[in-house]
Amino acid sequence: MRDCWITGGATFDLAPAGWKAIAGGASPDEQERRLLAIAAQALDVALRPAAPTTLKRRPPLPRLVLPILPARFRPLLRAALKHVADARRKTRVAALVASRGFVLHPMDWMPSDQTCPDVYAPWVDWQASVDGERHAPREKLTAENWDEFYPAARRLALADMRRTDPTSARMLIEAKASGEPAEVRLALVELMRFGLSAEDAPFLKSLSADRSGKVRELAGRLLARLGEHVRPSDGGPDDPVAELAAFITEGRSGFIRRRTIYTPAKLKSQAQEQRRAELFEICNLVDLIERFNTTEAEFIAGWQFGADNKADILIARMVAASGSEAALAQMADTLVAEGGKPALFVLHLMPRLDSRRKRVLIRLILKETTYLGMINLAEGIDADWLEWDDLTNGQALAALRSAAGGKDDAARRGLDDVLETIGFLATATTAAKLIDDMVEAGVPPAAPSLGLLRLNASLAGPGTNT
Amino acid sequence: MEFDLKTIEALAPDQASLSAASKLTKRTNWPRLEKHEQQALIWGECQGSGSNPYRVVVDTGDHGYKCTCPSRKFPCKHTLALMWIAATAPASFAAANTTPEWVNDWLGRRRKTTPQPAQPVPGAEAKRIGEAAQADESTAVEDIAAEERREAAQRKRAESTREAVSAGLDELDQWIADQLRLGLSGFVDASSDRCRRIAARLVDMKAAALAGRIDEIPSRLMGLRSEERSDAAIRELGKLVLLAKAWRAAPDDPELKRLVSTSEPREQVLSSPDARQVESLWEVLGEKIESRRDGLVSHSTWLLDLKSATPQFALLLDFFPASAGRRSNAFAPGDRFNARLVFYPSRMPLRALVAERTGEVAPGAWPDFAFGTAKDPLATHASHQDAAPWIADCPLMLPPGAILLDDRGTAWWQAEDEPQGIALPIAGAVDQTLLGLDLAATAALWNGARLELLAAQSEFGRLDLA
Repeated sequence: MRDCWITGGATFDLAPAGWKAIAGGASPDEQERRLLAIAAQALDVALRPAAPTTLKRRPPLPRLVLPILPARFRPLLRAALKHVADARRKTRVAALVASRGFVLHPMDWMPSDQTCPDVYAPWVDWQASVDGERHAPREKLTAENWDEFYPAARRLALADMRRTDPTSARMLIEAKASGEPAEVRLALVELMRFGLSAEDAPFLKSLSADRSGKVRELAGRLLARLGEHVRPSDGGPDDPVAELAAFITEGRSGFIRRRTIYTPAKLKSQAQEQRRAELFEICNLVDLIERFNTTEAEFIAGWQFGADNKADILIARMVAASGSEAALAQMADTLVAEGGKPALFVLHLMPRLDSRRKRVLIRLILKETTYLGMINLAEGIDADWLEWDDLTNGQALAALRSAAGGKDDAARRGLDDVLETIGFLATATTAAKLIDDMVEAGVPPAAPSLGLLRLNASLAGPGTNT
Repeated sequence: MEFDLKTIEALAPDQASLSAASKLTKRTNWPRLEKHEQQALIWGECQGSGSNPYRVVVDTGDHGYKCTCPSRKFPCKHTLALMWIAATAPASFAAANTTPEWVNDWLGRRRKTTPQPAQPVPGAEAKRIGEAAQADESTAVEDIAAEERREAAQRKRAESTREAVSAGLDELDQWIADQLRLGLSGFVDASSDRCRRIAARLVDMKAAALAGRIDEIPSRLMGLRSEERSDAAIRELGKLVLLAKAWRAAPDDPELKRLVSTSEPREQVLSSPDARQVESLWEVLGEKIESRRDGLVSHSTWLLDLKSATPQFALLLDFFPASAGRRSNAFAPGDRFNARLVFYPSRMPLRALVAERTGEVAPGAWPDFAFGTAKDPLATHASHQDAAPWIADCPLMLPPGAILLDDRGTAWWQAEDEPQGIALPIAGAVDQTLLGLDLAATAALWNGARLELLAAQSEFGRLDLA
């Protein structure tokens, strides 16, 4: 009957006897309509969709260690997530919530990459899983069960192991890295930065023969942080370290206590500037100081900050890439002590700075006020530590108030970004106070830019867990 | 409160608005009236002619306002009525410490303007609040003879409508017979033009509701895979035959009249002794907003009765012109409130009106519904079809199950204890996260071919799926 209707024509003769009894005794058109009505009802009531036999079920989404954010906070959370612009900032919202002991509802947010808080690693792996055959086990990572871990869980386990048992972690990376593709190898070698010590040097040196240029370069930088030279400097005209050294003038300073100073040479052309930037990128600090026959500490102490801002940035980047931990700390402290613009070059050291120095930098930016927007560039910082005093010590609060009360649209947009970042960094008390202050200064109470601050302020107090 | 009647007179766009507003100043029209003095805000919910209440907020400081009604008059009668109540009965407003989410949304979007003194608009000088009240009184006087004349005219109109609809259904019958003769294959391909033509005829013949339904057939067919469209066409056309026959048998049946020509007015439903009334705790499952070919937007809000032992649903249905622009939603998915609902009389009552709302309730889990021992998740649908075979969408509460994917990437719902049993195909794409969740109960609409998910309960709590 169906085929007949599809092509067109009468179906009465094809109908079952029972249907004919109901539909018969009328005009041919009416008979067809009656049969159509019966068929429609039969399709709806008697037939069921045919389920394919190949239906596949994804493995269940794992439970995370932390509890899900209580339902009453979800409207605030959704408002905050809606307002923030990109994935990095959404991850920051998740990090703030994690710092208060909760994870987000999976339908509100799912981690998109491995930069999310560690607590989400099982979800990152769940998303990466395609066949659902493997699962992320909770036992210790070994060479035997290496393949049973998803990449994110493996990375997390190795990072943990590097902190607690760096030798075993190195041996595991040494045994397994060579069998992985270059991209994974790079990520594994990158984990060596945790708990980096002289014991790691032989392995890192062995990577100088790695197939991937990126891995060789990374291993070289890590070795440089240990004070090891990747390649001996020949001092010839083609030696990049010698070429870079030529861009730096060594001199003497002081009348009573003579000390060596290092000043960036004056450049004559754009091409020279470009070449110098390239050389700072490819050379390691350890090779450069050897060239000047000095130590990391003396070189940084003798560097003339403020003479050439671009050179200051380049040297900060070089220290961040290949300086030892001590050199990094000295550089950060020296820049902060310099104050003014050079102090903000610490931003380039940010990824390797410890939490304390990162906080010092943020406080400095808030105090200086001139470059308030730079706090948006800060990365890898903890949430939930910025106190009210940090805002009132300098002119930060006054600057925020003035932007809030002003009519300058650009300033208002800048204010929105800063409020969002502070919403992530601030303690709940600070967040609550700042909302009141900003509303008083002219920000509408329901402004989306206050969204993260509102979420932050609400996630406080004894009632949060109930 | 900073309103006086003069200000309201000045703000009103015309005398008719003032007159209409005066009728809305009764307390019973406003289930909710609240104020926030620090923020200089008053807001309320007015039960208008639609199923959903209109939400009105007014800034008493600068006289800014927002109403969710589709009126093109600014301010609308609801806004004027809210101001009027604020001026004459400020005690009606309950003090609130926080502003609701929809008020926050408006505050977040609006640009605050400097307060403008209310100036009369040209051509509207003659507006008088006193006259608004007088007009109301004058209409109260009724002439018995005029009443009889009006009733006679009404009867005559009803008779002529019935004749016109009957003739329209004759044309529809012929049209369906033509489609069968020409073949449903051709009908599926040309459904857009063919349905438009017969729908236009039915509008002329005063069968507007049926015309609207036929206008939607092409989009329903196109939402399916090509091999499913013939069966769907049989179902759609067969249901039209059934509906036409049922109407002919009982043209005064309110349900059939509603489905063929027009809905009865709200007041008639509220005062109907046949209308089922349910006082309960309701949860908003989800909303469906669809633009129709006839230029209307249909706004469906599905509610779940949380006090019923078996799953019971209600549908608040509103239509407004697409040209009125996007409307703010009256409810958010997951909202819970105590209310008395009056259902439009029908065989399987679903469409309802909110007669009275008595307060909002905090969100939580659904009760444990008795799913019964029937293995068929479509048993409810089948019983709906038995009682009223013309119903298109049937709400279902599905037992514990999960969402699975087939080879083509189409999502299917399947009961958890029946891996080989019935699976129901889901309309549209689903969020990938949903594939990893066990669904304890799922509320959805079944249209005979596809499942439209509304909401679900899972170990992660409530999931909004609409």
